[in-house]
Amino acid sequence: MTARKSGSRLETEIERCRSEGQWDKIPELVRQLSAKLISNDDLGELLLGEAKLLQYLKENPIKPGASPRGARPKLVEVRKHLTAALDRGNLKPDHQQEAQLLMAKLCYVEGDYQEAIGQYSQVTLDDMQLVGAPVYRLSMIAEAHATKGLCLEKLPSASSSISSHGPDRDQEIITCYEKSGDIALLYLQEMEKVALSAGMQNRSPKPGPVTQEQELGYFLETGLQRAHVIHFKNGNLTRGVGRFREILRAVETRTTQNLRMTIARQLAEILLRGMCEQSYWSPLEDPPQQSPLNDSLRQGPLARDYSLSRRPRVYSGENLFCPQENTEEALLLLLISESMANRDAVLSRIPEHNNDRLISLQSASVVYDLLTIALGRRGQYEMLSECLERAMKFAFEEFHLWYQFALSLMAAGKSARAVKVLKECIRLKPDDPTIPLLAVKLCIGSLHWLEEGERFAKMVVDMGEKASEFRAKGYLAIGLVYSLRATDASLRGMQEEYQKKALGAFQRWVGSVPAVQLLGVTIPEALGYVRQALQLQGDDVHSLHLLALLLSAQKHYHDALNIVEMALSEYPENFIDSGRGSSLLDRAVADRRQLNTMTLPDFSDPETGSVHATSMAASRVEQALSEAASSLQSSAPKQGPLHPWMTLAQIWLHAAEVYISMSKPAEATACTQEAANLFPMSHNVLFMKGQVAELRGSVDEARRWYEEALAISPTHVKTMQRLGLILHQLQRYSLAEKILRDAVQVNSTAHDVWNSLGEVLQAQGNDDAATECFLTALELEASSPIMPFTIIPRAL
Amino acid sequence: MLLDHCSLCSTHRYADLYFFFVKSLASFGGIAVIGDERVGVPAPACGGACLRGDPHSQRLKSADSRCGKMLAMERGVVEEWLSEFKTLPESGVSNYAVSLKVKAALIPAIYRVIRENDSDLLEPVCHQLFEFYRSGEPRLMRFTLQFLPELIWSYLSVRAGRDPHRSGCIEALLLGIYNLEIVDKDGQSKVLAFTVPSLSKPSVYHEPSTIGSLALTEGALANHGLSRVVYSGPHLQRETFTAQNRFDVLSFLLLCYNAALSHMSNSSLQTLCQLGSRVCICGYPRQQMRRYKGISTRMLVSSEFLVQLITDIHYALCNGEPELGFKALDDVMYRAQLELFPEALLVCNAIKSSQHGGALKPHKEGSRRIHVEITPTSSRISRNAVTSLSIRGHRWKRHDAVDLGSPDELMEISEVDEGFCSRSTQGGSPPAIVVSSNATPSGGRPTGKGQRRLGSCSKASRDKEGVPESCRDQLSRKQPGGRAMSETLELLSLKRLTLTSSQSMPKSGTLSLSQTASAVFSRSFEHVSNALTAGNAAHPQGCSPSAPEANRYSACSLQEERLACVVERAEPLGPSPHKQRSPSISLHFSTDL
Repeated sequence: MTARKSGSRLETEIERCRSEGQWDKIPELVRQLSAKLISNDDLGELLLGEAKLLQYLKENPIKPGASPRGARPKLVEVRKHLTAALDRGNLKPDHQQEAQLLMAKLCYVEGDYQEAIGQYSQVTLDDMQLVGAPVYRLSMIAEAHATKGLCLEKLPSASSSISSHGPDRDQEIITCYEKSGDIALLYLQEMEKVALSAGMQNRSPKPGPVTQEQELGYFLETGLQRAHVIHFKNGNLTRGVGRFREILRAVETRTTQNLRMTIARQLAEILLRGMCEQSYWSPLEDPPQQSPLNDSLRQGPLARDYSLSRRPRVYSGENLFCPQENTEEALLLLLISESMANRDAVLSRIPEHNNDRLISLQSASVVYDLLTIALGRRGQYEMLSECLERAMKFAFEEFHLWYQFALSLMAAGKSARAVKVLKECIRLKPDDPTIPLLAVKLCIGSLHWLEEGERFAKMVVDMGEKASEFRAKGYLAIGLVYSLRATDASLRGMQEEYQKKALGAFQRWVGSVPAVQLLGVTIPEALGYVRQALQLQGDDVHSLHLLALLLSAQKHYHDALNIVEMALSEYPENFIDSGRGSSLLDRAVADRRQLNTMTLPDFSDPETGSVHATSMAASRVEQALSEAASSLQSSAPKQGPLHPWMTLAQIWLHAAEVYISMSKPAEATACTQEAANLFPMSHNVLFMKGQVAELRGSVDEARRWYEEALAISPTHVKTMQRLGLILHQLQRYSLAEKILRDAVQVNSTAHDVWNSLGEVLQAQGNDDAATECFLTALELEASSPIMPFTIIPRAL
Repeated sequence: MLLDHCSLCSTHRYADLYFFFVKSLASFGGIAVIGDERVGVPAPACGGACLRGDPHSQRLKSADSRCGKMLAMERGVVEEWLSEFKTLPESGVSNYAVSLKVKAALIPAIYRVIRENDSDLLEPVCHQLFEFYRSGEPRLMRFTLQFLPELIWSYLSVRAGRDPHRSGCIEALLLGIYNLEIVDKDGQSKVLAFTVPSLSKPSVYHEPSTIGSLALTEGALANHGLSRVVYSGPHLQRETFTAQNRFDVLSFLLLCYNAALSHMSNSSLQTLCQLGSRVCICGYPRQQMRRYKGISTRMLVSSEFLVQLITDIHYALCNGEPELGFKALDDVMYRAQLELFPEALLVCNAIKSSQHGGALKPHKEGSRRIHVEITPTSSRISRNAVTSLSIRGHRWKRHDAVDLGSPDELMEISEVDEGFCSRSTQGGSPPAIVVSSNATPSGGRPTGKGQRRLGSCSKASRDKEGVPESCRDQLSRKQPGGRAMSETLELLSLKRLTLTSSQSMPKSGTLSLSQTASAVFSRSFEHVSNALTAGNAAHPQGCSPSAPEANRYSACSLQEERLACVVERAEPLGPSPHKQRSPSISLHFSTDL
């Protein structure tokens, strides 16, 4: 046969087979070995015994929780070999120990735990050298510790020959497992080192024998995991978490990858579900002496109380990131888990792989769910949407992942993509009314995709009874879409048609939700609805605002003022945040109106009243101004860069308006100038400049400003109206008429434009038409609020 | 006024706060007395209301007083508690804090005072609770904090009851805690921030090189290194609740509660779940279902508040209160759906779904144990399944690549890692798959299945394959810009593939795998496109803006627009020389905006 190998080469070969678990090769090697030296017989017996025992275990793996097996014919043979090896006492000390460990293991397999413990106590496991030990021996020692732990657990404490009882005994068991786990990690690291260097030597382009992934086997798996299982069972969360961290900090090997993935996920779960910032301690810190996390009745030691001559390598180096907070740690662990779960994503769609796909999907979706919980808690939706995007390789026909992805996009403000993903969600789950509603919300929001919004809203309405409570919301949605389209529509007929549609939808919805948007409803009816809404939900700012507008439309200025006051007290920062400044303007305008109609009992003298009201308004504006300015300094980075500046400009303009009404052109100019510094090209600024010019009496200048404003925004009704009036003053009637007619085209409900138009027509001598215009103006005026209703946001 | 407050010198803050608190108490005190005089007025329904009809709440009900008046004994306990702290010497505070735990009757009695909010004890109790919080002793602070859910509910329900003044001292207490918590020890505005971990940076748990290139996407590279993100603060000091700031303040208070969750007793967690349920269902049809008869006005909520609430409910759910917790979660989710809050829906869905698949199940009532089991360490996924990893390790080869000299043909097989775009084939024609993605510095060329020590090995393999020197130089020079780099790498990998294909003839094993894989892909893509085109009848070829729905739903197509560019660039290089290969479905996708 083959040439006999020299002694040392033979030994190396045996060692390799033992560490690689190639037990079928052992008998042949033993034959060669015993042919060399008589004294090797005992070693041969040992090797044969080992090979047969492990071969047996490979073929009949032990299942957790299985009952002892008793003697088996194959095992009898093993016992014979081992007894033979031990009997003569010729073995080298190392081999003697190995034989005893194998014997103990055999006892365990046969169910004789007492005997196994006896064997272990002879060996004194702790004295076995870890430094410089061959790889297979590390595994042996690790298994021995685990087996010892198993035996101790199986034995009722009373019948045990070991003196310790109760908590000490628990501690002994745990120590066995922890040692086993540590040595097992060390063993796996060493294994990988050997395999790697072998791979380097081979220099083969093929992956080589390394591809054969190693399986841990029952004993090592138990050793690695049983310790933390017991910790958690005993309610000692501190130790359990500590153990998890020890395993995770050990440098990864290929065999531990799955274990790491599982443990990382479990630790993340514990961090997210069972801990809080105050009970957290960082992985590099000692755990707190007292922790609410631990079961107070069964207080065990907080840290491990043993040492090993060699420990598994841990991740080290400079600038290692070490989490300082539970969410941080959970996130790190989840990202690691995610990367692993992602690697295992089963991509094939063939039926044979259905089960695999399910497994990979499940393990990934748990990770993604936990990521969502962790990132949601910290408001990191942008990052979440990126993570969930990576989950899309699992997502084929998986509603949950699609839906979560859509929601994360929505939360991250990526509206357009969100709508598209939502469409897929609707396809996967056509019965859920929430999804199309979310899509409508996006469509009528920043996207302004009204047609798509209408489609989605109809979906909800068409669901009929299935949509239950959401059906009303569907009508609201569709009403909003119509009302927005009405605003957009340029033709009056279209506008009215949409408004009619919107009204129909609103009426079907009415009575459930606040923030009423009522266009085209008669004012008293609307008042009723808003009151109803307010009763349902007291402090909704938009309802309050609407109520104020409605009241002003009915010329109940005093009531409107009160409402505005109330709204302002509830939403003091509204004019800063919302950027509309409208509440304030309402107030100012309302004040002026009160004055004009002189129905206000509070001010006995109209003269002082006038000054009082407007100056109050002015002081309000100034206050708003300074607050806006200060909020700009303090919170500028928080908001969008443009938004606060627009607000500021608007407030300046409002201030200018107030000064104009007080006939103080100098101040008004200054205010306008401030606004112009911010937005020189704004039509509002130009309009205001025109008004100031008018106040000063320089009509030509005013006309120039108005014309410039119209050049920028050709449909600005207010400018058109003023320009029309100026042209009227300049007696250029036909031009004035033209401009005012255009203005009426743009906004058919602007009563002052109708009024001006009437004046122009009258001046032209067209009395009939003028009368009609005046009548229209009168009619509209009766129902017009001080601000158009459309300033109230229409959103879901 | 507000401005003045902000500019307050930091040292004055504490003193100022205290005066504010006392002032508010004094101003509300008078009203509290008036409230007490109206003895004939029935106790507000909200005070003692509970979710009647479900067995679980019986437990709570027993602690509730529906009759309105406290028992003399309970009164005694509270009064004793009120007096003893006042006489306590400074040094005895921490011992006293420990001793509070022993007083079993005290906590239920305080709950009753808060619920029955016209008690004359309410004001001193609130005052005392604030004193506890102000003391800075962690145990005393937590003692106050455990009543937070009940206090919030009490405040909200009284507010909704249109009698805002009645909640005066609770309001002052809540604002007091808020104003204490928004500043740090030096009186500076507190900013809560956390570090977003990144896999591209080594940590105590991992080494970037072993993670492999999959996770090192452009996004990950873009924020290479760790970024610190503020998630709360700085907050403004508040003197009064307004509709506008109400839920900002309450969200922040929940955040504080959140940070101490582990210390909270189960009774506190129960009140929290009730708070969650009630805030969300009051005034909505579900209220009838829950048979809760208290307030029937709707409460405005903010999405952020709901998310905080869910976080706390989630903890309760996993720590001994599964029944109440699930109910509360359902209610919050119901509301989130009605309000169309994506943030709250996200977290709710995640919690619900992870309860099924997670290893840690919610436990029996009262138990806070965490239960884990030994899990098998070997992969449960069978070896021959095509996974993201195996597909990376796989060398895409074409068994009909006869003319190896033609670069055009070879360009079609480009291989990089993440994401792929498939050119599906029909009728047994040869598979041609264009796999493309953003490559990473070391991971472009997979070095054998399972070989993940890319750092050490990729160089060797690169050398082995004879990548031209210039390419590598390019690679190392262009490191900084992520996009530029990935382009370079793409070139690199194209080049390499050319070499790979010419070097080695396909072996039977790999060949069959590649066939399987491509067959699998074409099948799944057909499925995708069939499913999608059935609805809108758009031909997949016409992926124009007019039919944007057509193909963009395949998982692989949901990559960044960059990928589209990659594909587009790759395509002109590879005109198809094969007649059989029609019709081909090429997948594009449009990224919006």
